[in-house]
Amino acid sequence: MNLRQIGLPLFILSGFAVLVGNSYAQQKSPIIDTHIHYSHDAWEIFPPAKAIALLRQAGLKKAFVSSSNDDGTMMLHAQAPDFIVPVLRPYRRRGELRTWMHDPASLENVKTRLQPGLHRGIGEFHAYGDDINTDVLRGVIALAKEHDLFLHAHSDAEAVDLIFEQDPTARVLWAHSGFDDPEDVMVMLEKHDNLWADLAFRTDHAGNGKVDDDWRVLFEKYPDRMMIGTDTYTPERWPYVVAQAAWSRGWLDDLPADVAQKIAWENAENLLQARRKTDD
Amino acid sequence: MKLFLALAILCLTAIKASAGDEKPVEFTLQEKQMIVAHGPWPLAMEPDSSNRYSGSDVAIAFGQRLFNDTRLSSERDLSCATCHKSSQSFADGMARSVGRNTVDRNTPSLANLRLNRWFGWSGGADTLWGQSVRPLQDEKEHNLTPDVLVERIAEDETLLGDYAQAFGAGVFDHEPELVMANVGKALAAWQETLKTPRTVFDQFRDVMAVGGTDYPTGFSLSAQRGLKLFVGKAKCSICHFGPNFTNGEFHDIGLSYFIEDGRVDSGRYAGIQTFQDTPFTRAGKYSDERPETAQKAPGQFVQLQHRNWGEFRVPSLRNVTNTAPYMHNGSLQDLNAVIDHYSTMDLERLHINGESLLQPLGLSDDDVSDLIAFLHSLSGAPSTQ
Repeated sequence: MNLRQIGLPLFILSGFAVLVGNSYAQQKSPIIDTHIHYSHDAWEIFPPAKAIALLRQAGLKKAFVSSSNDDGTMMLHAQAPDFIVPVLRPYRRRGELRTWMHDPASLENVKTRLQPGLHRGIGEFHAYGDDINTDVLRGVIALAKEHDLFLHAHSDAEAVDLIFEQDPTARVLWAHSGFDDPEDVMVMLEKHDNLWADLAFRTDHAGNGKVDDDWRVLFEKYPDRMMIGTDTYTPERWPYVVAQAAWSRGWLDDLPADVAQKIAWENAENLLQARRKTDD
Repeated sequence: MKLFLALAILCLTAIKASAGDEKPVEFTLQEKQMIVAHGPWPLAMEPDSSNRYSGSDVAIAFGQRLFNDTRLSSERDLSCATCHKSSQSFADGMARSVGRNTVDRNTPSLANLRLNRWFGWSGGADTLWGQSVRPLQDEKEHNLTPDVLVERIAEDETLLGDYAQAFGAGVFDHEPELVMANVGKALAAWQETLKTPRTVFDQFRDVMAVGGTDYPTGFSLSAQRGLKLFVGKAKCSICHFGPNFTNGEFHDIGLSYFIEDGRVDSGRYAGIQTFQDTPFTRAGKYSDERPETAQKAPGQFVQLQHRNWGEFRVPSLRNVTNTAPYMHNGSLQDLNAVIDHYSTMDLERLHINGESLLQPLGLSDDDVSDLIAFLHSLSGAPSTQ
């Protein structure tokens, strides 16, 4: 199914959402959370069934999960294959996030762990500026290209530019929207057609159920490019997925229904359905 | 005999040389400015404008009696003093206190409370009287409803008289929720009188403030080295800042905040929700503060943020050596454990874009001893002053 094929049903659903009006907060409307980690220290406290139950309690439609190490993601996927979207994290432990790009074993880990057809992306990885030009990152970007996977990059704008320099056909989900200002995020979205951005661990875009004016401009100019995320970077943040979803529904309610629905889950669905444009 | 004498002289010389070898601590201009900013002490503490009974002798006396009265609990067996023991700096020495059940947090000491902007580990109140009402109503603590509170006051002629004298009307002239607010205000009026005394650090700081060098002998070289670490390499003073040694705000310091399996104390996140859900606030209907200022209170601008999940209020360090165990859940038994936490901090526990200030300090054993010596220089149990 290509983008055009999935576009019609999504369009119909969007139209329905407009008809029923803004109701994200009231109806516990679906959300795809694109930024979940299920890392080693969470497995005992929240065994897979309990973790899945929390995600469902949050009213999620799907969850993009990456874990240090990938066993966590595999455990959740085995429990709920239609619900969990596996994304391959390069780290064996979360503590590698500052050093992995200089460790050839990280790339070997990715090559060993990668299951084409099962993993839908590689990330969330941390890389800034020139890190993208290390052998490890070059290898990861090449693997993503080879297997048509998106890259979930916790990066600054310079690193995102360098990813697209290496592979203009790459699809990048920009973690935390780079913690950049909305104006700068907008510049990046304008520059790169295949760039999406998640809003994990940031609250500057909304407060007390109201969307910030500058972010509203961005959301309405690029309604197809933004996504919701939580970032469960410690085990204690797993219960927060529920609170985060409720909070997100609050501010989504402040947007036009069609825009809200795109940000809530349609854009994530589109990222999964999108296919790489060939170079030739 | 000669050999013994020679050895004795040698030992004494060595001891003297060792003591004399301790280099005097030199502070940079920047360090001196930082140190001086941790005073003067005591600070002037004005009455609380949100509590018309703040500073009232009658309310203070009534509040002190209420503080020790077990009838302010559903089963008549708990008073505020059950956990806030005067003999233990108004804490209880337990990791997590026990009311009706074990509560989720450590009992904080009560001192210098007029200096707080937020109250409780999670800042669920922006007034001391609002904070005082919270444990009264908490099911795990006093478990007291406003209606039962009215009944308890009404069943005792002395309490009835005290209430009328303090608040200018009988308990039945007030709605039960107002009675609860008034009791909170009397409790607050009493607690506001609990202050820690000047310490040897304050003497040292005052000498430094005027450019003197005649430092008090009680402020040891070890304490001075600890102070230098405190405002320098260890960066403690970034958060434990000012005369009360706290910035009054909330931070995630990488501690676990599970209460038990799978149950989390979300800290400031829950505190904001509690605050936004209670009428006992500076801008609420029971406040005595002028609306012009109450509407500008910090609570009017607070919003839930992702970072608030697992944040807890930075406690004052005055009298810290007498208030173990430490942290919101009392999980660190002594100051060695606290300093070790910061010295060997697990960065995996923190978001890479979160508390960027925190890094493992890698302190030596001597550093730890010096920091503890400095913290001892802040000791002085609270009392009414």
